[in-house]
Amino acid sequence: METSEIAVSEELEAPAETPSLDIPTPSTNGRPVRVDPDLEFIRALQKSGGDSLKKCMQCGNCSSACPLSPDLHPFPRKEMAWALWGMKDRLLRDPDVWLCHHCNDCSTNCPRQTRPGDVLGAIRQQCILHYAFPRFLAKWVSRPIYIPILLAIPAILLGLAARYREAIGDALGFSVPTGESIVYSYIPQFPHWLLNSFFGLFSVLALLAAVIGVARFAGGLRKSSVWGPDPKPVKGVGASILSVLTKVVTHDRFTQCETDHSRSISHFFVFFGFIALTVVTVMIITGPFNPLIRGYFVYPFSFWSPWKILANVGGIAVLAGVLLMIWERLYFGHLAGTSSYFDWLLVWSIFLVVTSGFVTELLHYLRMAPHRHVAYFVHLVFVFSLLIYLPYSKFAHMLYRATAMVFAERYGREAGNGAQS
Amino acid sequence: MKRSTVLTEKNRGAWATVFTVIILLPVVFSILKPLWAAEPEVFLDPPDPRWESCFRPKEYMRFHHMDLLKEARSQVIRDGSGNGITLAGCGDCHRNREAFCDRCHEKASVSLDCFGCHYYLTPSELEELEGGGH
Repeated sequence: METSEIAVSEELEAPAETPSLDIPTPSTNGRPVRVDPDLEFIRALQKSGGDSLKKCMQCGNCSSACPLSPDLHPFPRKEMAWALWGMKDRLLRDPDVWLCHHCNDCSTNCPRQTRPGDVLGAIRQQCILHYAFPRFLAKWVSRPIYIPILLAIPAILLGLAARYREAIGDALGFSVPTGESIVYSYIPQFPHWLLNSFFGLFSVLALLAAVIGVARFAGGLRKSSVWGPDPKPVKGVGASILSVLTKVVTHDRFTQCETDHSRSISHFFVFFGFIALTVVTVMIITGPFNPLIRGYFVYPFSFWSPWKILANVGGIAVLAGVLLMIWERLYFGHLAGTSSYFDWLLVWSIFLVVTSGFVTELLHYLRMAPHRHVAYFVHLVFVFSLLIYLPYSKFAHMLYRATAMVFAERYGREAGNGAQS
Repeated sequence: MKRSTVLTEKNRGAWATVFTVIILLPVVFSILKPLWAAEPEVFLDPPDPRWESCFRPKEYMRFHHMDLLKEARSQVIRDGSGNGITLAGCGDCHRNREAFCDRCHEKASVSLDCFGCHYYLTPSELEELEGGGH
């Protein structure tokens, strides 16, 4: 009797030792956890798009519907559980929130009309708010009441730069234009060197702030529980970055979306449009000493200059993409997801930047002198806002998502990858 | 919603390549340009040696000639006397309008209003005048 009992128990235990069942639970890694719900955090999620959160019954349909979710500790079910319990710390250091590209396959497949896609979007917003430096700017960017201040800051700074341009020019040694270039400013108050140094200075400041935020975020990611107890990298850092870059450029994740598939197209246009505009901007700033430009550097470019054509094509691409985004969000909200203020702010900021740019260009060609100057100033304010508030707005997704994707790539956290496959 | 067939998992690489190539076109164009335009273009016709007595240094004039001209225009019209700058005065040294004004303005897509009213000698007229003068 005894021997047979032992044999039976051995048989029963045998499957338990196969690796497929030996997965450490992501939430605890084997340790007990005390749940200390952060009610403020839950309320913040509900306010910014995650209002359906409490309907979740943890069935797991969402995780199986998601084309991007890895097999090991898949999302978004566990994020929904953490969000229901207000486990803020765990969500803020969770890379999976950023692997989600918000195609809403989860939301359309939910039997209780919960919208996990929108909840993850709300978590991403909280993530940017949490890690951003300085944090008060992120708070300003996330609430409509601060719009007047947010626009007044760039307007006043630009106004001061124009007012004291002569003193600034003397200090920087720019008061007498030199060199083998002919650069006309759109407005005499904003000479080219002034805009270059002004935008250059604040871009560096914004970049520093962004780096601090992303470094904090990366520190959090390292402590995330989804990697398991003893994570081992499967790829080098360089290889991971290269792989993520390829995926981002070719829209690898977006094209796997089912429900909101058109999001891939609108993002594709905005993405490449911005790259084109960046290339032209770099070209203009470096113009007087750029080896690609021979002889005299003349700015503004003529309408048929290859660079001007690229700038116009890029602007049209961004405009087309952003109009598609607005149209999707207005008329296909059930597919595109709930649009919070945070979402709308970025979409409309980009819309205002490109439309004010094209209005300025049109007025320039129509030669309407005071009008084009005003339009150009407004355009500068919008561009400057987009730039300096990048680390605090939804625009920061490019940094946060890229960081999370590089981590996921490095530790083999891929759709279809996991212990069981 | 019916899944779009424009941008799919299969053709995403091709689309990204097309867009990247479009962005790189002006760069390639700039690199290859010396193949058919070897000499860097000379814009400004070398002026008469008398240019030394121009109103301001040439660097200043390059950037601000339009401001001086507009200032002169307003002063002449409103106050009856200008800042001493006249288009005819410019023409004394910078004689060839085509080489001195037009080429640069064309390149920068800045059209000229001046010559709708004011007269500036064309090269042929200049030659004729000078030939007749001598």
